[in-house]
Amino acid sequence: MSEVALLQIIGLCVVGAGIFILLFIKGMFLRVVGFVAMVLGSFSLIALGVPQVASLPPAIEKFDLAKVKSPDDLAAIGQKIFFSKGQCALCHSIGPSHSARCPDLNGIGAKLAPEFLYESLTQPQAYIYLDFRHATKPEEYPARMPHINKDPIGLTKPEIFSVIAFLQKMSGEPISIKVEDVMDSEEDQTETVEVALNANSGSTSSVLVESGVAP
Amino acid sequence: MKSANYIQESNVKTLLEKMPTIFKWVSFLSVLLLPVIALAAGADTKAMSVEYRDVPGIGSRNLVWIVAQQHLLLAGFVLGVPIFGWVCEIVGWKTKEARYDKLAKEFTKLLTSAYATTALFGGILLFLLIGLYPKLMAYLTDMFFPSFLVYCLLFLAETATLYMYWYGWDYMQGNKKAFHLFLGFLLNLFAIGIMIVPNSWATFQASPVVVADGDAWTRAWMAMQNPTWWPVNIHRLIANVVLGGFIVGAYAGIRYLLAVSREEREHYDWMGYVGNFIGVFGMLPLPFAGYWLMREVYQYNQQMGITLMGGFLAWLFILQAMLIGVLFLGANYYFWMGITYRIPGSENSYKKPIMAMLVVLLLCLGVWMTPHTLVASLAEAQKMGGTHHPLLGVFGVMSAKMTVANIMILVTFMSFIMYWRAGKQETAGWAKAAKAIMNGLLAIAAIAVIVLGVWGYFVPAIIRINYFSVAQVLIVGFIMVTFTPLTALLLKSAKTTTEMVWGKMPIRAGYCLVLNAVMVILLMSLMGYARSSSRVHWHIYGVMRDTSEYAFSPALGYAAAFMSLNTFVYCLLVAFIFWVATLGDKAKAQQAQAAVADAPGGAPAMAGGAPSSGENFESGILENHK
Amino acid sequence: MRGPITSGAILLAGVFVFLKFILPLFTAPLPASLIYLYMTLAFSGIMLYGTMSASSLESLMGPVFRFLSGEGQSGTGKLARLAVLVLFPLLVGWQTYTSLAPSDLPPGENRTIHPAPPGEFVGLANPYQNNEANINMGKGLYAAYCSPCHGANYDGKGPAAKGFNPPPANFADPGTIAQLQESYLFWRIKKGGVGLPVEAMPWKSAMPRWEVELPDEFIWKIIMGEYDGAHQSPRTWEEDD
Repeated sequence: MSEVALLQIIGLCVVGAGIFILLFIKGMFLRVVGFVAMVLGSFSLIALGVPQVASLPPAIEKFDLAKVKSPDDLAAIGQKIFFSKGQCALCHSIGPSHSARCPDLNGIGAKLAPEFLYESLTQPQAYIYLDFRHATKPEEYPARMPHINKDPIGLTKPEIFSVIAFLQKMSGEPISIKVEDVMDSEEDQTETVEVALNANSGSTSSVLVESGVAP
Repeated sequence: MKSANYIQESNVKTLLEKMPTIFKWVSFLSVLLLPVIALAAGADTKAMSVEYRDVPGIGSRNLVWIVAQQHLLLAGFVLGVPIFGWVCEIVGWKTKEARYDKLAKEFTKLLTSAYATTALFGGILLFLLIGLYPKLMAYLTDMFFPSFLVYCLLFLAETATLYMYWYGWDYMQGNKKAFHLFLGFLLNLFAIGIMIVPNSWATFQASPVVVADGDAWTRAWMAMQNPTWWPVNIHRLIANVVLGGFIVGAYAGIRYLLAVSREEREHYDWMGYVGNFIGVFGMLPLPFAGYWLMREVYQYNQQMGITLMGGFLAWLFILQAMLIGVLFLGANYYFWMGITYRIPGSENSYKKPIMAMLVVLLLCLGVWMTPHTLVASLAEAQKMGGTHHPLLGVFGVMSAKMTVANIMILVTFMSFIMYWRAGKQETAGWAKAAKAIMNGLLAIAAIAVIVLGVWGYFVPAIIRINYFSVAQVLIVGFIMVTFTPLTALLLKSAKTTTEMVWGKMPIRAGYCLVLNAVMVILLMSLMGYARSSSRVHWHIYGVMRDTSEYAFSPALGYAAAFMSLNTFVYCLLVAFIFWVATLGDKAKAQQAQAAVADAPGGAPAMAGGAPSSGENFESGILENHK
Repeated sequence: MRGPITSGAILLAGVFVFLKFILPLFTAPLPASLIYLYMTLAFSGIMLYGTMSASSLESLMGPVFRFLSGEGQSGTGKLARLAVLVLFPLLVGWQTYTSLAPSDLPPGENRTIHPAPPGEFVGLANPYQNNEANINMGKGLYAAYCSPCHGANYDGKGPAAKGFNPPPANFADPGTIAQLQESYLFWRIKKGGVGLPVEAMPWKSAMPRWEVELPDEFIWKIIMGEYDGAHQSPRTWEEDD
C-alpha cells in the first residue's frame, strides 16, 4: 500500500471517529473534540486528493578541473559558484535589480582587468582610504565586501578564476582567463596553507559545486 | 585447593542457574536502552565533526517539525493574548465596564501557565536542534551569539513584568491602574522583542546577507537586518493578535456549550463576540502584510518566489485560500447569526443584505480558489489545450487573487459595520446624508478595486505590483479608516430600538467559533511548512546546503497530515492549559452553587445543553421526539 | 409554495448545468475537479444561508430531519424513506468502487508549468544590447530554430505544434513570457525539457536542450527577438526599463 493510500485511510478513520462521536456521545467537550477531528481529517483528505509531488534535492555535482577544456567550461563552473558557494549573488546582481545591496556587476568583466578583479576579491580594502575623522589613529571604514578567499566563504584560487571568467562572459567579452593559468595556480596553491585549508572543497584537485539541475 | 575449586564450581553453578534471570534482565535493559544505543551508533566518534544525528523511527526532521511548530503556536498564543488582554483592559478602564477588566484578568491568568509551557517547548527545541543539527547550529551561533544574550535578557525582563502584571492586578486598581496599564505595555513591548529576535535567525536562514568582517555585535546586527526580517515581524505580530482573538473565541464557544446557568451563557456569549471581533479586526490587514512579505521574498530571490507562488508549492496556496475562505465565511456567519439571534425581530430586514454579502464572498472565494494549473485528466487537458483553461485561466494569476482578497476584506468589514448598527435608529439630522455618502463611497471603492484588478492584466508586472495593488489596498484601507469613526459618530446620538439579548446563540455558533480557531491554527501550521519548504534543500538559502537524508520537501498530503496532527496536539495542549487555569474557579463556583440551590433552567436540556429552549431548533426537534 | 429546499436544489442544478453544458458552448469544457469545487462552494452557500436564523433553519432542515426520522409517516412517505435509506449507502458504495476500480486512464496530473529555476540562472541580465541589429538577428534565429513549433506568429501554432502534448508555449499569451524574466527564458532554452525539475515532469516536455547546438550569444538574441515579436516585455523589478 502506498503512503498516500495509508494516510487516506487514516484520514477517513479520523473523520469516521469524529462522526461517531457526534452521533452517539453526549459529553459536550468530547463532541467538540470529535468536531475538530472531523475538520482536520477532512483537511488532510483534501490535501491528499491533489496529485502528490515531493521536491527532491538536486544531486551534488563534482567538477573536475582536469575535465575543463575551454574557457567556456570554466565560465560555467564560475556561474554556479557565483550563485551558490561564492555567495556573490546575495549582494551583487548582474543587471539592474531592486534588491541588490552592492554594485551591479553588469559589464564588469569588460571594464576591469582580471588582475584587478582578483585583487578586489582577495583584498577588498586595498584601495579604500582610511578614516581620519577623529583624533585617534586612523581606522578602516567598516568593510562591506568580505575577503572571498577566507572563511566563511573561502573560495580557492581556481574557483575565483572561474568566477572572473564567468563575469567576463556575462559582459559579452572574450574570456581572457586561460585554462592553463588556472591549472598553474592550482599547483601554486598547494603551498599556500590558507587556501588549502578550505573546508568546503575537501580536495584541492576538484571544485565542489552545488548545482540546481535535477538528477 | 579442593574447597577453592568447589567454591568456584558452585559459583559457576549458581551463575548458570541464575542465567535465565540475568538474561531476562539484560535483554530487558537492552530493549530499554535500544534507542540510546542506536543514537550512539549513529553518532560518529569524532564528536566535533558530526553534521547530523538522527532519531530512529520518527526521524530527526519530523521530530523537530512537531516541536518547533508547537513552540511557535504556543508562542503565538503567549504573544497574542497579552495584546488582547491589554486592549480589553484599556477598554474596561476607559468605559468603566467591569466585565472587560474581568475578561482581561481571566486571560492573563492563562498566561502564566502558557508561558511556562512555551518556554518548555522552546527548551526542548533548542536541545533537539543542538543535538540533531550541530553543523547548522554552530554556524548560526557563530553569526548570532550576541543576539542570544539579548534574547535571554528580554526573557528575564518579560518574566519579571509578567509576574508583576499578574500578581499586582487586584492591588493596582483605582488610581494605580495607570501604572498597571504601563506594565501591560512593557509586557507587550518585551514580548514583541522576544518575538523579533528569533525571527531574525529564522529569516536569516531564508534570506541570508553576506556579513563582512567586524566584531561580533556588528556582525550579528548586520545578519539580523536581512530583507525578510521586518515583513515577517509585522506579519507574525498581526497573526498573533488574530490567533489570540480566535482562541479566546473558541474558549468562549466551548464554555458557552458547556454552560449551565443563564449568567454563564450570557457571559460566554459576550466573550465569544469579543474574541471573534478582535480576531476579525486583526484578520483584515493580515493579507496585506502577507502580500508585502511575498513581495520581499520575490525580490530577494526570484527562485524562492517562484517555488512558492508558481512552482512546487503552488497548490499549497490553493489550500491556504480554502482555509482563509472558511475563516472569512465562519467569521461572517458568526456576525450574521449574532444579528438574527441577539436582536429579536431583525431577521427579515437583514435577509437581503446578508444574502448579497454571502454571494459576493462565495464568488470571490471561487476566483481565489481557482488554481492556475488545473488538475485534469488526459482527456480534459487535451480539450483545454494544456492544463490552463482558456477562460478561467485568468483567475489563476496574482491580479485576480489580489482583487478578490480586497473585496472579501471589504465585505467582512461591512458585515461588521452592519452588526454594529443593527437594532439602532440614527437620530442625527445628517444621518441620511452620511449614509448616502457611505453607500456611494463603498460602491466607488468596490468598482475601483475591480477596475484596477482587471486593468492589472494589461500593464507590466512591476506597474501592477508597485502601483495597482498598493492602490487597491489604500482604497480598502481608506474605507475602513473613514467608515469606523463616521459610524461611531452616527451611533453616538442613535437611540436603541432593540436591546441585544446575550446568551441566545444556537449551538452551531459555539462550533463556528471553534472552527475559526482551528482554521487559524491550521493556517499557521501550513505557513510553517511553506516557509520551510521555500528554502528547498538549503539550511541557509544559497549558503549552507542540507546534506542530510531529509533534504527533500515532503509532498503536500504528507505535510497536511502532519499539520493536522500538530493542530490537534496544540488544541489539546491549550485545552489542558485552560482546564488547569480554571480549576480554581470551579472550586469557587461549587461553593457558590451550594449556596444557591438548583437555579431554574440550570440542567442541560440535551446533549451539551441547548442555550435556549422553545425557539431553538435543535432542542425543539429533540423535544418533539422525546 | 417554494421552500428553501426546492430553491436550493434548483440553484445547485442551475449552477451545474451552467458549468457543465452552457459554459462549454463558449469556451473549453471545465475539468471535473473545477466543477466539483464550484458546486461545493454553491452548496456551502446554501447551507450557510439556510442556517442563518432559527426560522430559516427550521424551514431548510426541518423537513429533512422529519423525513429521515420517519415519525408519523405512512404510505409513500414511508416507502420513500426506506428507499433513501437503502439507496444512499449503495450510492456511496458505488462511488467508492468507481474511484478505486482500476481503469486504463492515466491519473489526473498536476504539472507545474513554470517551476523555480536553479540558483545559477536567477538574476542573469542579457549581456547584449537591445538594439535593432540584435533583435533582427534574434528574429532570424527564431525563424530558423524555434518557429517550427512555436509558430512564426509567436503563438505556439507552428506547423509541428500539433504533434505535441503538452503543446508548445504561446508567447503572445500574457500568462507566459510576460510573467518571466529574461534569465528564466535563458534557462529554459539552454537546458530544455530534460533540465526541468521533477515537479514539472521533465519527461513530458519535448523542448530540445539548445546548449548543445547554439552558443549563449544566440540564445540571448533569440530571447530579445521573441519578446519583440510577441509584443511582450520581460518582467523586471525596475520601472524605467
